[in-house]
Amino acid sequence: MQATQTCPFSPGGAAEDVAPLLGQRDDLSVSDRSHWPRFGLKGSGSADWLADAGVALPAANRLSLSSGFTILRLGPNDITLLGDPAAPEALAALCARWEAAPGPKGYSSWREEAWAWLHLDGRALEDALARLCAVDLRPGRFVPEAIAQTRFAQVDAVVIRRGGAAEVFFDIAASAAVLRTIRHGGGHP
Amino acid sequence: MTRLDAPFGSRIDRSRPISFSFEGQRFTGYEGDTIASALAASGQWMLSRSFKYHRPRGAFSMAGAEANTLVQVGSEPNLAADLTPLAEGMVVSAQNVNGSLARDRDAVMDRLGRFMPVGFYYRTFMGPTRKAWLKWWEPLIRAKAGLGVVDLAARPDGFDKSHLHCDILVVGAGPAGLAAAIEAAEAGADVILCDESPDLGGRLTYAPEAEVDLTALVARAEALPALRIMTGTVCNGWFEDNWLPLIRGKALHRCRAREVILATGGIEQPAVFRGNDLPGILTGGAVRRLIRHYGVRPGTRSVILAGTPDGLGAAEDLLDAGTRIAALVLPRDLPGHAERIGRLRSAGAEILTGRIEAARGGTHVEAVQVGGRWIDCDLVAVSVGHAPSWQLPCQAGARLGYDDATCRFSLDLARDGLHLAGSVAGHAGTAAVTADGRRAAVAALHALDIDAEDVSPCQDVELAFAHCALPLIPHPKGRDFVDFDEDLQVKDIVSAVREGYRELELVKRFSTVGMGPSQGRHSALATARIVAAATGRSVAETGVTTARPPVGPETLGALAGHGHVEERRTALHARHLEAGAEMRPVGAWWRPYLYGRGDRVARITEEVRAVREGAGLLDVSTLGKLEVRGPDAGAFLDRLYTMAHANQPVGKVRYCLMLNEMAAVIDDGVAFRMADDVFYVTATTGAVARVYADMALWNAQWRMRVDVANLTAAFSGVNVTGPKARDVLQALSSEIDFSPAGFPYLEGRIGVVAGIPVRAMRIGFTGELSYELHCPSSHAPALWDAVMAAGAPLGLRPYGLEASRILRLEKSHILIGQDTDALTSPDELGFGWAVSKTKAFFVGKRALEMRRRLGESRRLVGLTFEPGTEAPGESCLVLRGGEPVGHVTSVAHSPTLGRVIALAYTHVEDAAPGTEVTIRARSGKLVTGRVAGHAFVDPENRRQEI
Repeated sequence: MQATQTCPFSPGGAAEDVAPLLGQRDDLSVSDRSHWPRFGLKGSGSADWLADAGVALPAANRLSLSSGFTILRLGPNDITLLGDPAAPEALAALCARWEAAPGPKGYSSWREEAWAWLHLDGRALEDALARLCAVDLRPGRFVPEAIAQTRFAQVDAVVIRRGGAAEVFFDIAASAAVLRTIRHGGGHP
Repeated sequence: MTRLDAPFGSRIDRSRPISFSFEGQRFTGYEGDTIASALAASGQWMLSRSFKYHRPRGAFSMAGAEANTLVQVGSEPNLAADLTPLAEGMVVSAQNVNGSLARDRDAVMDRLGRFMPVGFYYRTFMGPTRKAWLKWWEPLIRAKAGLGVVDLAARPDGFDKSHLHCDILVVGAGPAGLAAAIEAAEAGADVILCDESPDLGGRLTYAPEAEVDLTALVARAEALPALRIMTGTVCNGWFEDNWLPLIRGKALHRCRAREVILATGGIEQPAVFRGNDLPGILTGGAVRRLIRHYGVRPGTRSVILAGTPDGLGAAEDLLDAGTRIAALVLPRDLPGHAERIGRLRSAGAEILTGRIEAARGGTHVEAVQVGGRWIDCDLVAVSVGHAPSWQLPCQAGARLGYDDATCRFSLDLARDGLHLAGSVAGHAGTAAVTADGRRAAVAALHALDIDAEDVSPCQDVELAFAHCALPLIPHPKGRDFVDFDEDLQVKDIVSAVREGYRELELVKRFSTVGMGPSQGRHSALATARIVAAATGRSVAETGVTTARPPVGPETLGALAGHGHVEERRTALHARHLEAGAEMRPVGAWWRPYLYGRGDRVARITEEVRAVREGAGLLDVSTLGKLEVRGPDAGAFLDRLYTMAHANQPVGKVRYCLMLNEMAAVIDDGVAFRMADDVFYVTATTGAVARVYADMALWNAQWRMRVDVANLTAAFSGVNVTGPKARDVLQALSSEIDFSPAGFPYLEGRIGVVAGIPVRAMRIGFTGELSYELHCPSSHAPALWDAVMAAGAPLGLRPYGLEASRILRLEKSHILIGQDTDALTSPDELGFGWAVSKTKAFFVGKRALEMRRRLGESRRLVGLTFEPGTEAPGESCLVLRGGEPVGHVTSVAHSPTLGRVIALAYTHVEDAAPGTEVTIRARSGKLVTGRVAGHAFVDPENRRQEI
């Protein structure tokens, strides 16, 4: 992130007062990844451009892993790539390539600005997910490549599961409300 | 005390006494008791007074099937005493009493029944005078209405909601449900078994059978890892796609099941005779529950009405419990049970043929009349058969049939993913019920593509005498209740039919039968039979009334759950708090209403003046922001908005007005053409979700080469406005030329300001020189800080929503939703200039043309009021010749003009500037406003275009 950027749970962010509810609790840890790199394309030409750039796209409403990022295909031409701050190079290179490319190449969906990104884990995770989301997210029922575009903690959200944990993407303006609902509506005092 | 020793009392723990109070008197029960069982054990049978006649009432089914047992526990009203577990220190009181339960002053109502025939309330409260309703009847009814007392200070703590998913949900853990759940879980399905009782086994828990080892069966179920058992859980409805709410205490579990097996059993029916509602008259099942679940001897001298063999079982249990059986009344022969009847005779029971004609007693039954002879007793057990628990199946679309010859109901349910099992499916004997449960499980397993062997049906020898329909003859003296909840007697139903209400749904609405808390569990069958007889039809032709969720009462707290409130914050939220803003909710958003503490009017006035005289900064991040992009973006906007956008040059900003198909104004904003194929469009805060959805819908229909992205949260915005706005921005490092020539009014620029990427637009909501700077939200705090720092030497200050509202009102700029309503047309706003005359199509064009042919009746105008005039409030009526012709939509005191100004709809002929219009102020006083021109401040628009 650039020095001039502030995420909701960061100091000076819109939800800084609620940020203490984040943290590594024994039973349910909630960590903020809103500052993690991601890149979204939407609109006609998005899938074709990514395919031409060598990104192997999964089917619509499925996710897949690529070298350096995870690909969420939310629709035929609505694709978000999730990066990892520990190895941001591949995604950054792809972004730079897209910026420089002539059209048609789709349009930015601004997921890095529109979405908050929370990572949930811990032994109370399954119980919390059952309280917060109507979709059956239990391992074994929710296959690893599945994407739930649904309601979570009373807001529209995209939910995925990676490595046993759950990750939730939602309206960044609702960050404070969602974290409070996760903590108080997810079976925790 | 009438407690029995073990093995009676399977649910109670005699080592754990519990103390509680009822009607101010101390009682003691045991852990595992319900309120009703503990009270019955202490000889307290009366629990409530009836709805209309205030007759004494007590537990009848011990299964929560009637309103008789509703009590108040602490601050919680309407809890079923026969289902609610006893807890230490409970304070229980009776409901619907005037005085006390024992001395209810309204008991006199029982003697006034002749003045309250069925449907009397439809006629009675019309007179005798025109004002009688408000003066007499409404206060009287208000005082008498309702059951418990709501504690308005109660906190909704402890309510919880969650979701459950399973392959198969089995509702009901009686013999059928238990067998089905075990069969399905053993085959590998993921199964939930729920039952409202605290234990598994259903009727086997109080009517055991030698050939069924319930303990072993329960152990087998509990050992299955794939079987989740939820006792104490009510399945309160069936909704599409097998979505069923399961309520357990204060928790609502929303269950989604691939297959559902309804093994909900039957509802034991009452017998209808005079005085059948007296405490001490119970169903056979209730008697057995009291004895076997709670170890309560329910009486000392009993009469049993045994229309079915279940009555014999109740009689046998009573003998075992040490209760004398005064008489066994057999309405019909029960072949195959002669030996059992013989044993009862040997034990002293007089065997009578016929039916009970009447019961008598004060607050408890004292005697019943059989064949004209009165027989003393303190307990009556009635066993006249069951009706299937039709509510859930019927909610799922089942049709209820009835065979008048066998007196049997049947349910016809043909729906994928849903199965009936056991007695609700028409079976009676335990072996047949169990086999049917397994059959249903196999059917569900097959639907899930899980292998399972078919189950052979079992002969149901007990079915032949499982149902019984006694004659329903109105007693000459009445008080033969069909519906305990609503105090309806046989003659009331007959009278309703005589009134002309021949259809059951009409009888229900006229008489209120089945409309009480028990929702017809005890009344539907009898009512159908009475209506059928009165109309010369069969019961099957008469049917039952529609079953709808919920099956039983549910608390609003359970539906509300955790009670979290939706909340959205702009990226500048912390900056506002730091600046001392008073934040207020606007829809889901928190917005700064004003900054600083102290005199609000003074603060707001300062903020308005800062904008008019210097520079102000407003957070406009809640504005809807849509990016419309693609080769057809301009053409797409042309169809959606009233102005022309396809020909809009890149770099220009143009006003947008959106109509619906009725030509009503639904939104406005601006469109900044950033590139040939990209427009950045703003929408109002409250309407953006709808506008985005509408755009998506139209785009799907028109199939244009367009993508729409809702960037409302992704981008934040600030409005730098006031005569010094340009100076503020020019003090920042920027690649954008903010000079008048470099950045004219209604143009937009993309660039970097203070190192932050922005989209800048020169527009003027305040009427002053204004620049809206939009940036990705993560940069918004830095942008705010940079602008504030650059503006500090120039007196820049943030201003809030109220100042913004006044500033725009001084310019007569409208707020969609406040100054418009569901019918407002552009012409009524004087916005003809914003409607293209040349475009072939835009949404609402045809309707607008049609409305223009009809002519206008009102016009939104600005009004000024002389100083000292009482200011009208928003929504105050505008009158013309004493008749309302419009209303005030916005009003405020203008600090700039020093007087009250308003926007209001007036008659179209009163819209000319200078016209005086009459408004009725809140006080009722008529005040005069003078119509102003199109803006109160700077009507030539010079200030915003400098």
